[in-house]
Amino acid sequence: MGLLKPAIPFLLICLTLSRYGICQTPTRITLTEVDAPFSKVMDDLEEKTGVTYLGMTSLTQLGHPVSFSVKDATLKEVLDLCFKGQPFTYKLVDGAITILPLEAAANRTGIRGRVCDVNNGPLSRVTVQVKGDPATAVATDDNGEFRINTHDEEPILIFTSVNYETQEIREKRGKEMFVQLKERVNELSDVVVLNTGFQQVHRRTVTGSFDDINNELLNRRVGPNVLDRLDGVSSGVLFNTNIVSGTNPSTITIRGRSTIFSNPNPLVVVDNFPYSGDINNINPDDVENITILKDASSASIWGALSGNGVIVITTKKGKLNQKPRLIFNTSQTVGGKPDLYYLPILSSSDYINVEEYLFGKGYYTSNYFGPLHLAVTPVVNLLYQDSLGQIAPTQAQAEINALRTQDYRPGLGKYFYRPSLNSQFSLNLSGGSDHSLYFLSAGYDRDLSTLTRNEYDRVTINGNNTYFLLNDRLELNTDLAFTGSTTVNDNQGITGVTYPYAQVADAHGNPLAAAYGLNEPYIDSAGGGLLLDWHYRPLQELRNADNPTRLTDYRINFTARYTLWKDLDIRAYYQYGRGSSDNPNYMSQQTYYTRNLTNEFTQIIDGVASYVVPLGGILVENTASYTANNVRLQVNYADTLGRKGLLNVIGGAEVRDIEGENSSMQLFGYDPTQEIGVPVDYANFYPQYSNGSLAKIPYNDTKLSTSERYLSYYASGVYTYLARYMLSGTVRRDESNLFGVHENQKGVPLGALGLSWHLSKEPFYERSGTAKWLPFLKLRITDGYNGNVDRSVSAYTTANVNPVTNNFGSIDASIINPPNADLRWEKIHVLNFGVDFSTHNDRFGGTVEYYVKTGLDLIGESPVDPTIGVQSFTGNTANIRDHGVDLTFHASHTFGAFRWNSILLFTYVRDKITKYDQMQAAVDDYLTTGTINPLVGHPLYSVYALRWEGLDHVTGDPKGYLNGTGQMPGQVTENYNAILSSPDLSNLIYKGSLSPSYFGGWRNSVFWRQWGLSCNIVYKLGYVFRRPSIFYTYLFNGTSPGHPDYDRRWQNAGDEVHTNVPSQPIPNGSSNLPRDNFYEFSEVLVENGDLVRLQDVQLTYDVSRVEYPKLPLQQLRVYLYANNLGILWKANHAGIDPDFVGTPPTPRSLALGLKASF
Amino acid sequence: MKLPSFIRTLILLLVAGLAVVGCRKAFLAQKPSSDLLVPNSLNVLQELLDNTQVMNISPALGEVSADNYFLLYTTWAALDTKESNAYIWAPDLYDGQGLVSDWDIPYQQVFYANTVLQGLAGIQPDSTDQAEWNMLEGWALFSRAFAFYNITQLFAEPYDSATTATDPGIPIRLTADINEKTTRATMQASYAQILSDLSMAEGLLPAAIPVNNLNRPSKLAVQALFARIYLSVGDYTDAGKYADTVLAADPALMDYNSPEISGVLPFLKNMPEIIYQSNFPQPGNGNILEGLIYPGCRVDSNLIASYDSNDLRRSAYYFQEGKTIDSFTIKGSYSGTIFPFSGLATDELYLIRAECYARAGNTGNAINDLNSLLMHRWKTGTFTGYPINNAPEALDTILVERRKELAFRGLRWSDLRRLNREGRDITLTRNLNGQTYSLLFPSDSSLYTLPIPPDVIQFSHIQQNPR
Repeated sequence: MGLLKPAIPFLLICLTLSRYGICQTPTRITLTEVDAPFSKVMDDLEEKTGVTYLGMTSLTQLGHPVSFSVKDATLKEVLDLCFKGQPFTYKLVDGAITILPLEAAANRTGIRGRVCDVNNGPLSRVTVQVKGDPATAVATDDNGEFRINTHDEEPILIFTSVNYETQEIREKRGKEMFVQLKERVNELSDVVVLNTGFQQVHRRTVTGSFDDINNELLNRRVGPNVLDRLDGVSSGVLFNTNIVSGTNPSTITIRGRSTIFSNPNPLVVVDNFPYSGDINNINPDDVENITILKDASSASIWGALSGNGVIVITTKKGKLNQKPRLIFNTSQTVGGKPDLYYLPILSSSDYINVEEYLFGKGYYTSNYFGPLHLAVTPVVNLLYQDSLGQIAPTQAQAEINALRTQDYRPGLGKYFYRPSLNSQFSLNLSGGSDHSLYFLSAGYDRDLSTLTRNEYDRVTINGNNTYFLLNDRLELNTDLAFTGSTTVNDNQGITGVTYPYAQVADAHGNPLAAAYGLNEPYIDSAGGGLLLDWHYRPLQELRNADNPTRLTDYRINFTARYTLWKDLDIRAYYQYGRGSSDNPNYMSQQTYYTRNLTNEFTQIIDGVASYVVPLGGILVENTASYTANNVRLQVNYADTLGRKGLLNVIGGAEVRDIEGENSSMQLFGYDPTQEIGVPVDYANFYPQYSNGSLAKIPYNDTKLSTSERYLSYYASGVYTYLARYMLSGTVRRDESNLFGVHENQKGVPLGALGLSWHLSKEPFYERSGTAKWLPFLKLRITDGYNGNVDRSVSAYTTANVNPVTNNFGSIDASIINPPNADLRWEKIHVLNFGVDFSTHNDRFGGTVEYYVKTGLDLIGESPVDPTIGVQSFTGNTANIRDHGVDLTFHASHTFGAFRWNSILLFTYVRDKITKYDQMQAAVDDYLTTGTINPLVGHPLYSVYALRWEGLDHVTGDPKGYLNGTGQMPGQVTENYNAILSSPDLSNLIYKGSLSPSYFGGWRNSVFWRQWGLSCNIVYKLGYVFRRPSIFYTYLFNGTSPGHPDYDRRWQNAGDEVHTNVPSQPIPNGSSNLPRDNFYEFSEVLVENGDLVRLQDVQLTYDVSRVEYPKLPLQQLRVYLYANNLGILWKANHAGIDPDFVGTPPTPRSLALGLKASF
Repeated sequence: MKLPSFIRTLILLLVAGLAVVGCRKAFLAQKPSSDLLVPNSLNVLQELLDNTQVMNISPALGEVSADNYFLLYTTWAALDTKESNAYIWAPDLYDGQGLVSDWDIPYQQVFYANTVLQGLAGIQPDSTDQAEWNMLEGWALFSRAFAFYNITQLFAEPYDSATTATDPGIPIRLTADINEKTTRATMQASYAQILSDLSMAEGLLPAAIPVNNLNRPSKLAVQALFARIYLSVGDYTDAGKYADTVLAADPALMDYNSPEISGVLPFLKNMPEIIYQSNFPQPGNGNILEGLIYPGCRVDSNLIASYDSNDLRRSAYYFQEGKTIDSFTIKGSYSGTIFPFSGLATDELYLIRAECYARAGNTGNAINDLNSLLMHRWKTGTFTGYPINNAPEALDTILVERRKELAFRGLRWSDLRRLNREGRDITLTRNLNGQTYSLLFPSDSSLYTLPIPPDVIQFSHIQQNPR
């Protein structure tokens, strides 16, 4: 029967490790035992040799005391002595001792069976015992087979394994049974293999802070981006929302922020090397697992790149001696339209009231009659037609009243948005023989975004082969990955049209013009018919857009490993990566951009139009490419050191070179059928048709190449003593072209030291009562330095060519860096303490970590004597300090046929600037968004506010304070300019951080027969955000559609008692700006961001041939996945999702998927 | 057993490692980005000097403090602190705020010039690029001298030949080393440096004016600047001599009767009169001189009244907003933009030479120069020449015409410093919202030297000017 056919079930990884790494068996043993209990002898052996034995205490307790004395004996010799005459025997499997019942003892009638994983791979070393009778315990063999003896007619069998979920099954005696075990999710077990990008390490030997995201957890989520799948499943990892551009933000932060201006993103490693392409090129279905390196010990092997943590992605490989297996996976995800009513705006009627008010004040006179002919909205147009007597007052009023009932959002929802649909297909074939492995995959993804006409297509192809040659001394691996994708970005939304009664289409779906650019009366008369249509119709723009980005990316890996001598091997890695993207944005003559530019440059002389910008379309094409070459040479060595120690070291050198090229070109009068343009005059100034000002045709042709080169040397080692004390050390030195050769010579090596203590393996611990309920306890401490890179600074005086030529047409340059001979890497000192523990059978367990990260020598701005010729100096002048706690707890339990497991993640992290030299001139520099102005003693992204004294009883103007001292708030004032431009920072109130101090998730899963249900609740606490409100200047000048707080504005004396919304001011140029700014930045608009969110729910149903022998395939999984389900609780009462302050929240989505294995 | 092969491989590795180290220097010397320029080639050095936004900007606080204009109260009240304080000659201009562009920009020019000079020192020119090398060195020296000179006119006391050895001058920085400490040189040393930079530049720069790149200096620009500087220190012999040298080579004057003068932007940036282009900073980013381009900035009515009705300069320079004489605003300038011109042009040299002639008692030549200029400024056929018979009368007329011709060119403050010291005791008055401010001479003479910005004092601890 196929089920019992022998197979070697372990992964290549385990093979590698056991042969060349951690589970190393020393050659000779010297040991004397006199009448020692059997279990003690096994412990002594473990201490001496580092081999594990499968801890079936129930069976070994039956062992007889042992006496022997050996010198320089092999392990086998010693084991034979130990097991002689015992009521059980042993088997050496994969460097571990499996204790097996004697065949003779198995004569009693029992139950036979086989234990497999969900992919039907046999599972060895699973403990099987009859419930309530520990003496019956047996372990499965290499084929996953077991035989258990019992007197019960229908016993309950318990299947336990460190790596898999415990199962209890009732079975009749004499039967042959088949059991499938599910892998434990987010397991802290010893056996988990972690990948640092340089080597595979066993979790039990690590001293540092790692998190592993296994395949099951990775596939819990559905979607084309692999990194998105880390959201909410790893403690310390935060996906940032409400990113403010201009503040050097990162999408993902691991353990808080540790830089200011340098690279803020974690390093992403794909198969041994940092990935230079777009992470969207990686198909999640090709990923086996992800390891996250969080502290100095785990990450410092990456040296100057490790400062923000490292995410190591390992792609799938074949398995030894595995029959060809074909897996097909598909999913369809449907998402809703975004809620366009989420962002509050003024009602059309209110908006029109404001326009009428402004019209009465003559606010639009200069727009309407002025030389710039600026656009005015339809209502203002009607008001002018009325006042100029062009239409009857009653007609104007009727038309305006009709507009009062219109709303632009239904049209927007109908023509610009749709439900999203994401389709995913992947197929992979894998297998292996004794001497080779293969993995081939193909994937296709198609994503129709919620924005109509925007879509994303991706094809991925992967081929991975491994060969074992020369009697397994040589291992060769080749890996080829290709990605091709097309992103269509035709829908850019509507720009510049904010009035709420705008209509994008008429009843028949024909595009309608919106007020934008120039005003209606001018457009209608300008040019006397010689100009192109000058109207802006948003829907027409959408339909005419043609803006695709085509991307290809491939990656070739070549790895060779050669065993030189016993446990010394040498490895060579080479990775070649190349990616290119091409974004031709064709703006035909029908697009507003082209029509507007053509019109502005049209010269009409004596009734004849000449076109400086030729008729026809405009093509703007941006291309970018990169080529990455990575070479690494590494020596791995493992051996015993001393009599009770085990040493495992690696060392090597690495060269990396990433060359990039970007270019942009523009063709005018472009004819797409012939792909040809027309030459234009970029050099001379021409009067603009609408206002007569002189302008040149915009010149956008650019070319830029970049080069990033590294030369690195590294070494890393772990010394394990008595199998319970681990000492690790890592050192790495990087040199790079970013700083220049001279600086490299002064380079300081980065590195870390770590210690871990497997306390629960201490004899005194094992003897103590604690061992009963907490059999696993490990303490860790690490200390070291990570580094970070800033590509924008240099040790030399450097200059940049300015984007436009000077007034005289010459290319000119600006000095961007004065010389900085002392420039060096940013260093991040990380101190990490960790405790891992678990109760019996891993029912409950977890990890507690505390860390302190100190960013030293951070690149920051410092003011200098301006007489030097620069006002500020960018150098290693700033410091930041983060500290935090990462907690992960897991629990599992079985209730009859139900299995339940639960994972709770909790993170506390807070950063604080401890040194920063540059002080800004005024209070408002710390309030405005979009720039980084750190303040010592507060987080980098802080929210400050101005003290609020309510509204004036007479005018409804807001009142603030100036010149406060200490606890005294100072004098009440309505001089907003004085408040905002005050250099006295005591006027600022620190309200909190923009990023959460506490966050995490709580994931619960239940399994019942073939069904699995899992849901994830995430939370973020301890942060604040600024609530938008009415900003009169922007409402008046038409850049904002207003805010319904307008309805709650102060209107009459006494209103100040129940409202904080300032009165509507008299329009007066930009003079209301400080007043609006004061209100915007006041403390009354700062809200608490705390929230708890139901992130997602996953439902799975698994069937396999085991249960349904007629199934035409091995196994089938059907799954449903619902994402972005909604907020369960939030602290603010303003109806705002704090993760989405300025944009509608990501709509809910539902995925239906199917995964079949053949 | 296999030990030898293991050792062999190690040796191989070692050799490979050494090979890597060998080409390491070249590998790591690659520029990280093609748009990153290291100033070690003539090309890049020229591109630095061609940065007109840095190199062709003159400080404006002098013009802000001078008497060619007045501000409406609301405009004044909205100004940046240092500018509103400068307008009323407040003893403390800055209210403790640093980053004063009128100090920072000239020293930025000095830094650029020093960077270029340092870069040139590292380049061995061959016969083909010797001329370019010379031109760049002359250019950098000229720019440095111009910047230093502009600083002296604001932040050092008016030149007094009797006490130059002890009077504090300005910080003289001759390297681009940011670690070099700032100190104040003596007045004598400051001017000596300016004049020696110019002398060297004179020998290095080409004679011809680069008509299409007037941001670049020529030998004539050096000589014109010599004339301006000598005039400001009261060395009328040398000032006249240099003005004469320039005018002998380039006597061009523009006739304001040409039709474009009446347009919205009457002057182009490359008119024949212009020798070297420079202008006041663009407003914004804390730069001084926001006030001069606001509508609330009005030209002094006495100045307006001094233009004859046939004098075309009034309509070329100014725009009349209302009907009254106090409703004129600044319109065009030789910069070709709305930012007032502060460079060098031949009209200034005519006036310098005329003044020097008059001071030397050569009334005829003085009047001759003045008339040649004004013939080009009045409506054709209307200017008949000033009936002047003696040198003092000629000097007075020339000084009036100097102010009328060179208004808003950044020269008035310098002139006030100079003329007051020779006893002309010109009093400046401002009226703001009913309050009157006066700048009297000699009682307020210390206010003619602006205080050094507080951030400079804080970092360098150099001596502050008494106010």
